[in-house]
Amino acid sequence: MKFDLSCKDVTHLLLDAEDRTLSLRERLAVRFHLAICTLCPPFERQLRFMRSAMGRWKAYAEHEPPEA
Amino acid sequence: MSDFARQVQALRPQLLRFAHAQLRNDAWAEDAVSETLLAALERPQAFGGLSQLKTWLVGILKHKVVDQLRRHTREATLLSDDDGQDIDDLLFAADGHWREAPRDWGDPEHALREHEFFEVLQACVQHLPGVQGRVFMMREWLELDTGEICKELAITPTNLWVLLHRARLRLRVCLQQDWFETHSTA
Repeated sequence: MKFDLSCKDVTHLLLDAEDRTLSLRERLAVRFHLAICTLCPPFERQLRFMRSAMGRWKAYAEHEPPEA
Repeated sequence: MSDFARQVQALRPQLLRFAHAQLRNDAWAEDAVSETLLAALERPQAFGGLSQLKTWLVGILKHKVVDQLRRHTREATLLSDDDGQDIDDLLFAADGHWREAPRDWGDPEHALREHEFFEVLQACVQHLPGVQGRVFMMREWLELDTGEICKELAITPTNLWVLLHRARLRLRVCLQQDWFETHSTA
């Protein structure tokens, strides 16, 4: 895997990471990009936020199923 | 009617909403809930009273929802009801750079403390188009792994990844518009 990933490549890998474990090389390439890019880190934080939001919502809704 | 049956019956509307959110089909949701209620009424002794009745029923319902998906695999897998919109083109220019910089969403705990936030989140999930919404719910709520989802819906891994990516990106746009842009304090 090449190291100079575009923001688009990184976005795909970050999305993949929600549902699979990235390879070592992929993780390294993503970290490298995030360290030098100013636009992608907020995107990563947004994904992390959505993950915790889904977890919280699920716990909340199973206790109290959501209103339609 | 026994107290137990009455309590089970009283939870029916909530179970129906839960099933509908995942199946997006009135008839399938009805069936999943009916099977759940029947299972509960036939084996009330299985409810140990250790968890809340609602929690116990939701546990049964999850299995019934998966059964419905399995039963209706063909219909559920019509990829044609995916919008097919190319999100990449919306987000990125030809050179692979962001068209618009992702915003900083601030302190997540702030939003997660708000009851209203979860209503927005739920509305956003419910507005995910057909198959996208379905695979997203299978993944997030039913906690099926990607291999299981491919098997249940008879779709290829490539299709599944595309659907999951689109679902998450769409959810992101929806939260941006319907929550973060209207709640600037977050």
